[in-house]
Amino acid sequence: MRPRARVIPRWARGSIPALIALVGIAMAASGAQPAAPPHAVEIARKQPAQPNPAAPKQPAPAPGDAARKVPPAVPGPPAASPSPQTPAPDPAGPAEIIEADVSTHTVAVTSAFAGTEIVVFGSVVRSRQESAQSGYYDVVVVAEGRGAPAVVRSKDRVGGLWINTASVRFEGLPLYSATASTRPVEEIAEPAALVANGIGFPRARMIPGRGSGAMTPAEIDDYKTAFLRLKQKDGLYVRSDFGVIFIGRSLFRASLKLPANIPLGALSARVFLFHEGQLLSIRTASVVLRRTGLERLIYDFAFDHPISYGILSVILAVIAGLAASIVFRRPMS
Amino acid sequence: MSLYLPIAEMSLNVWLLLGIGAAVGFLSGLFGVGGGFILTPLLILLGLPPAVAVGTGALPIVASSVSGALAQYRRGNVDVTMGWVLFAGGIVGTVVGVDTVRILRKMGQFDLALALAYVTFLGAIGTLMLTESLATIRKLKHTGTASTRRRSEHVWLHRLPLKMRFRRSKLYISALPPLVIGAFVGFLAAVMGVGGGFVVVPALIYLLRVPTGLAVGTSLFQAVFVTAVTAVLQSATNQTVDLSLALLLVIGGAVGAQAGAAAGVQLKGEQLRLLLAALVLLVAIRLGFDLVAKPAELYSLQTFVRGLQ
Repeated sequence: MRPRARVIPRWARGSIPALIALVGIAMAASGAQPAAPPHAVEIARKQPAQPNPAAPKQPAPAPGDAARKVPPAVPGPPAASPSPQTPAPDPAGPAEIIEADVSTHTVAVTSAFAGTEIVVFGSVVRSRQESAQSGYYDVVVVAEGRGAPAVVRSKDRVGGLWINTASVRFEGLPLYSATASTRPVEEIAEPAALVANGIGFPRARMIPGRGSGAMTPAEIDDYKTAFLRLKQKDGLYVRSDFGVIFIGRSLFRASLKLPANIPLGALSARVFLFHEGQLLSIRTASVVLRRTGLERLIYDFAFDHPISYGILSVILAVIAGLAASIVFRRPMS
Repeated sequence: MSLYLPIAEMSLNVWLLLGIGAAVGFLSGLFGVGGGFILTPLLILLGLPPAVAVGTGALPIVASSVSGALAQYRRGNVDVTMGWVLFAGGIVGTVVGVDTVRILRKMGQFDLALALAYVTFLGAIGTLMLTESLATIRKLKHTGTASTRRRSEHVWLHRLPLKMRFRRSKLYISALPPLVIGAFVGFLAAVMGVGGGFVVVPALIYLLRVPTGLAVGTSLFQAVFVTAVTAVLQSATNQTVDLSLALLLVIGGAVGAQAGAAAGVQLKGEQLRLLLAALVLLVAIRLGFDLVAKPAELYSLQTFVRGLQ
């Protein structure tokens, strides 16, 4: 069915540097060394490295754990990886780690594609939470598509007509962004922590367009608000404040709506684990939306051989027109 | 039942698209216009990117023009010589038009230019046709006969060089006016996503004194070629031709065009012109209102997903 094999599909090429940059930002934010696997990148919490689960036997108190209400130390080997359910971990024990993945890694976009839903699920390894309802942890899922420059224009009345007069160019904003969380993200962590992790409105370079004059930060902010509003209207920026649900002490899930007008390509889903405003762990998983079958054929043809594609389209249109006049010839005359 | 459109990257209802195609095709068969001036605004209204609407809109016009032109040709209503001369000018206009679109889009003023072009041309031509057809109908009521064509008008047109014989139209005039009309129409085809029938038909009737029936057929004939060139150029420069979308519109349009051509036989020339004038004016008023009225949303968003779009 496919015209030729490609290592990286044409439409995905542009998104790869963006994806790498995104992962890079996420890593830099949590101060971890890059861990190579591209598919699921785990970033450990900022703390002394604990290469194996046996390490927690050391009595040294882990920084940041003092405030946490945890049961007294239990001697013996706690929290070995096969038994993350062990209820009472050592206070100096290994920190929680979030594991997550997406229900589908490839969404096939065919002629019947009318939007879809993906489920991001995962679990908290070494969960200290007593029940799904306890609200001990906060999980935030941020799924973002590839970035593309965008221009927001504003209209003004000029000589009785409403025309575009000023504009602000945004660089580095994703075409699609969905945020789901256990409760509103503003309640989960401080604004600085959210910004540092790219939760909420993404950081973007905002450049007033030529002829727009000097803009105050407040004016530029209006464009930012307009950008969000327009994206939300198109269903491309979605926020679901209670979209992440804990099913058990450690298991959680979130379903994200992908609208039919979603720009295709790679989506990366970053999953954050918070406790009392502290980021404990991050995990990244990815989904690729790709055209298949006839849709892919048409798209590839249109972009690889645009002139032949145009000629073929015209020929098909002419044939359809001729066919119609043959079919309708009898009843006409 | 909805279909995912690979180039537009969105999903639309199949029956809705077939219906739009049929309605536009009906108009095209009835009036001898491509119907693009209705189709393009409708597609934009459906949420398609204007670039894709203009690029793809050319294809249904090709199809409905082919079937419409054939139907007219069988009735002897096409001046082929005139059609070729119009098309020769059209090629030049189309090339210039496609490039103009590219520049306007870069400036962010394409939507405004599109709306202004629609309001200006549709408004002017609609008003012209409306007053003329009303005058003819009134005259017919009084005298019972319409006045015959007055060839003595537009004397300057007859002084131009490059005289050609247009046998079917019974005209012996310079080739320059049809060439210029053709170039202008080619430009509009590229910028507005129209076949230009609403310019060619009145221009042939009022400027060159081609009989109404022949003007309609000849306009369809030249529209086939001008829009075909537009579609290829749009595909080559902007990659904004969506084949899935086009085929649905084409199927609906081909059917509608035949029905329209059949209905057109029942109507007199001045009645046809009056109806077309009313329709053209309605579209112009609708688009003009959007330019003048305060929009509900003052901001608009353009994402550069792949280069210019």
